[in-house]
Amino acid sequence: MRDPENATVEVELPDDFDDFWAAGLADCASYPLDPVLTEMPALSTDKVIVYDLRYTSYGGLRIAGWYTVPREGPAPYPALVTIPGYISEPTIPKEWSELGYAALAVAPRGKLRSNDVFNPGYPGLLTHNIVDPNTYGYRGFYLDVVRSVEVLLDRPDVDNLRIGLQGSSQGGGLGISTAALLPDVIRCVAAGAPYLCGIMTAPTLTRSYPYEEINEYLRIHPKDVDRVRESVAYYDGLNFAPKVQAPTFLYVGLEDDVCPPETGFALHRALACEKTLRTYPHCAHHAGLPDVMRIVEDFLAEHLTPGR
Amino acid sequence: MNFDSYWAAVDDELAVIPGRPVLDIVPARTTEEATFYSLRITSTGPYRVYGNLSIPKGDGPFPALLITPRYGSVNNIPHPNDRSRYVVLSLMHRGQRLADEGFAAAYPGLLTMGIDDPATYIYRGIAADCLRAAEFLLGLAEVDPARVAISGDDLAVLTAARRPGFSAVRVTDVLFYRAIEARLKSSLYPLEELNDCLRAGLSADALSTTLSYFDAVRHAPAVAGRTLLAVDDPDWSASLLAAFPTAEAYQVTHLDGTDNDFLDAWLAEQSGVPALSKFIA
Repeated sequence: MRDPENATVEVELPDDFDDFWAAGLADCASYPLDPVLTEMPALSTDKVIVYDLRYTSYGGLRIAGWYTVPREGPAPYPALVTIPGYISEPTIPKEWSELGYAALAVAPRGKLRSNDVFNPGYPGLLTHNIVDPNTYGYRGFYLDVVRSVEVLLDRPDVDNLRIGLQGSSQGGGLGISTAALLPDVIRCVAAGAPYLCGIMTAPTLTRSYPYEEINEYLRIHPKDVDRVRESVAYYDGLNFAPKVQAPTFLYVGLEDDVCPPETGFALHRALACEKTLRTYPHCAHHAGLPDVMRIVEDFLAEHLTPGR
Repeated sequence: MNFDSYWAAVDDELAVIPGRPVLDIVPARTTEEATFYSLRITSTGPYRVYGNLSIPKGDGPFPALLITPRYGSVNNIPHPNDRSRYVVLSLMHRGQRLADEGFAAAYPGLLTMGIDDPATYIYRGIAADCLRAAEFLLGLAEVDPARVAISGDDLAVLTAARRPGFSAVRVTDVLFYRAIEARLKSSLYPLEELNDCLRAGLSADALSTTLSYFDAVRHAPAVAGRTLLAVDDPDWSASLLAAFPTAEAYQVTHLDGTDNDFLDAWLAEQSGVPALSKFIA
């Protein structure tokens, strides 16, 4: 019988973890952000203005996003980056702007609108160059989310002191990594069913995708297991967690077959910031949806104060 | 063009286009339980679409399961639990990843692509892709023709209605059912695409006309297999449930672990295989 709350999930912290990510951020900084926003009247409503966004990220790649702002209300707005799940495309975040946020739905490299140069496919991203941390597919992907926050910092209609992160699954995992890489910027994180935490443990607890991709990879490359372990340690949310300073709200399904609850509990333990964990019995990867979204909205509103 | 002649024309188009399927083994997904293949097959257009096919090892025939594509760029690979019990085929329709040579669907955008005319609506071709997948699965020698199931949204209903042979139909969601009303409930995509379309000037009548060809309530009467409809709001879904000859409703709890297990167990019972939870206790 599993005991998710008390299970051991260990990840080795690479000695050069901080240098590794500092180098990535330095690479990003070597390129002008060059954000281009194009208003999309056909997608805008009487409440929300929609923009197509493009900006430059790691390696010089142009990355897409949707940026939305309320038509009315007191600017500068609090801002929210919504981070997509593994198989989903970012949708236009009108619903957040209807609540008073400037919202940026980022499409990191490999997502449809950002895959001209890098397109590992789905399935595929999780194991793309997984033996090499320097060229692992997620390297740029993680940094693309960080870079999207920098877009917000550049916006006159955004209050730089009220920027939060929201996402579930992959969006939850990257909320943690992004908050860790921008500890002075991010004011709060809402992370559901966080993925990419305990990356080597999770595939031993489930046969569901995307973690099953690692099992498949090791099925035909069994000798690579140590190199895979070394590589993903740089990307594991459990190694980012102690660096997060923003208040963080986690929600976890206790029967989650996609992101095993053991890894959610481990993330909660690893966080040193102000933190809240809600667990949902009999819930799988939805982790309390749709009801939990009301709590997420309240949590974000408490810290980001839309409408103020 | 009326409903029957619209769909008869799709069937006629498919009938004269050879599928010319090609199967390639995928070693990384092949286990002691099942052999995994990628499938490429021709649908209307002509257009090559993609499928993930898994066939249990051992002596067949086996129960089978067709998983119709969801709305989105990616469909999940069939779960190992399903691969161990069923000949399972999941389809990537035209425009989805792995079926995007020549046409990559936009999200948002796919739901309303060509919607001003039923004849050019993208979902006409997508429906044909599903029908082609059904024909392929139903024709496999490893499949027990008495135990063939289909699972998905409106596309599963449409496919089961137009291709006899499905003994069980599991409807986990609906996209087109009462879509012209459902679009008013929120600004969430994909139904928000319909609102975007109306703001851009398309008439509500044109929208309704095209959507009506795909609404599950119009296809349900022709579904012969035992049907399970997952229902969130019973009042909202009442007319759809009533449209099926033999359907039962499952009231969704929003405890998705519980819901997933129920839906799995229902299909397993119809197919004569053991129920399996994706969550390993």
